[in-house]
Amino acid sequence: MNQPILTGEGLYKLIPQRPPIVMVDTFYEADAESATTGLTILTDNIFCLDGYLQEPGLIEHVAQSAAAFAGYAPYTRGEAPKLGFIGEVKKFKISRLPRVGEHLRTSLKVLGEAAGVTLIAAETRVDDECVATCQMKIFIKE
Amino acid sequence: MEMNELIEKINEVLAEEFEIEVEDITPEANIKETLQLDSLSLVDMVALIESEFGVKIQSSELINIQTFAALYDFVSKNQK
Repeated sequence: MNQPILTGEGLYKLIPQRPPIVMVDTFYEADAESATTGLTILTDNIFCLDGYLQEPGLIEHVAQSAAAFAGYAPYTRGEAPKLGFIGEVKKFKISRLPRVGEHLRTSLKVLGEAAGVTLIAAETRVDDECVATCQMKIFIKE
Repeated sequence: MEMNELIEKINEVLAEEFEIEVEDITPEANIKETLQLDSLSLVDMVALIESEFGVKIQSSELINIQTFAALYDFVSKNQK
């Protein structure tokens, strides 16, 4: 497996969030149509309760993964990340809540683009187990 | 796929996704008005056409696809 493109504070080059609300710690790979991100759930994660990452934390992780994906192309051109907005989250399905200590790996795929809106499909896995899927619409302010 | 078959299939998937009657779709009808698409849901149609028919519609091409007839024609010409 290749080394991740960015890890830890390196992700700050792609997303505007800062601790304690950063929900992506690894940017594994990306091309024009897809990307893969990761997050290890630590005990002090503010979205955890009783040892489990809660639903808002999973949604925030996917949202920040999408933001990192959107910020990656400008980053490669030496530009600052553009401001992005989530237009819609749909078809969000959670199979189970991840536990503290587990590592999330989220795959993103562009399903379509129109009128400045990008539709992305996301799948979050813990090892080989799919724990969540969703679709998200993102609008990037040019 | 024959043109009539393609038209029937396009109408079927659009009607199901956007919860309208197939009968509401006519070749001359405006796509955005008939499917009640706004700036956020337009991308749903683009993604659906790509996933069902393998045809990618670029944003720059959308301006020329105002009616269902134009959509049938575009999908027919660009299907692999």
